Amino acid sequence: MAGAEQKGESPEDVSRRRFFTLMSLGVGWGGVVATLGGIGAGAARYMFPSVLYEPPTVFKIGLPSGYGMGVDTKLKKERQVWVVRNERGIYVLVAICRHLGCTPNWFSDQKLFRCPCHGSIYDPHGNVVGGPAPRTLWRSAISLDPVDGQIVVDFNLRQDPDPVGTPEGLMVEEASREVEPYFLKV
Amino acid sequence: MWELFQRIRSVVNKTQAFKSIFRHGFPNNDGNRALVMFSNIILHLHPVRVRRGALKIKFTWCLGGLTFFFFILLAITGVFLMFYYVPDTNRAYGNIKDLGTVIFFGDLFRSLHRWSAHSMVLFVWLHMTRVFFTGSYKPPREFNWVVGVILLSTTLVLSWTGYLLPWDQLALWAVTVGSKMAEASPLIGKAGPFGAELGMNANNDITFALLGGTVVGQSALLRFYVLHCLALPLVTALFIAIHFWRIRKDGFSGPL
Repeated sequence: MAGAEQKGESPEDVSRRRFFTLMSLGVGWGGVVATLGGIGAGAARYMFPSVLYEPPTVFKIGLPSGYGMGVDTKLKKERQVWVVRNERGIYVLVAICRHLGCTPNWFSDQKLFRCPCHGSIYDPHGNVVGGPAPRTLWRSAISLDPVDGQIVVDFNLRQDPDPVGTPEGLMVEEASREVEPYFLKV
Repeated sequence: MWELFQRIRSVVNKTQAFKSIFRHGFPNNDGNRALVMFSNIILHLHPVRVRRGALKIKFTWCLGGLTFFFFILLAITGVFLMFYYVPDTNRAYGNIKDLGTVIFFGDLFRSLHRWSAHSMVLFVWLHMTRVFFTGSYKPPREFNWVVGVILLSTTLVLSWTGYLLPWDQLALWAVTVGSKMAEASPLIGKAGPFGAELGMNANNDITFALLGGTVVGQSALLRFYVLHCLALPLVTALFIAIHFWRIRKDGFSGPL
């Protein structure tokens, strides 16, 4: 009796065949889609290199005692930063103009940074005192290495406060900028 | 939603640009269905009329099609490799090492490129052997045989120029040997027949032009890179187009 049911073309048999057909199609096309998706994802991942051949973005710049009062320009070419010491401590300005990304120059006689491209002017705090720059200069995060006491700069971790428009230019209150990790009281 | 799609389609179908791309109506009758096949080179690479027997897999074994498949695969994987490879004698070997070790999928793309290259050479030979045994080089297809021989040459030179790019010992000495063979070219090689009589020496013969110097060095690497990634693929693609055009024009004679 059971054998007769299996042999005959009962609705259960047809639906079983249909079930396996659909499942085979599902597994087959699912495999195709998964393979193509995997290749696509892998190819996209390929475009993001795991090893970089470019200057490090976290680097040491020597002991704090190596930097005297005012703006130090010796790292501008190699690391694209200025190291500034005032009465309270040290901060690191990023030597990238906030207008279109040129490198400004430090004029020690005028005590100003002036950008050669479109004439943006910054004071030693990074405030904009002239030209088209819409924001103040970035300051990079700095810390002291616990082993050798050197200053460690994290170039891409940057302070970017909203400036206030004044008759003198775009200003940020200095006290609000002299906070960790963008300032070292040394 | 469906009505919106239909409305957009009816507008797009009436545009001049659409009509210039699809030169037939919607394939909902036999006439238009035939036109879809006849007027589209991708859907219908074969001649418009083919004998049933010629379409049997045992006639061509699709060897030319497989060769073309490897060429496409080589072009795609080659573009990927170009993102990381610099043809500089100080950096090339390191770039290849990086592809094999630290770049995600780098080993896969390089291996695909390498094995496809070997396969393409192999399948060109198999394809030509098949063409020989089925007599498909005979009139009126002599021209396509000549195009095929040119494609064999560009395939081999592509393979050889790619051989140098990893800049390892194998690459260096393989190309050193290969350039010695170029020196033996008749008339234009310094060691070939009539070469010395025509004034060929190490500074003016064909090997000098090939290597951009007298040793396999930086200029040779750059020349081989440009030939491998730009010049030879363009020439090969051009002759592949002519090859396919001749297949469509010459037709299939079918199994003997």
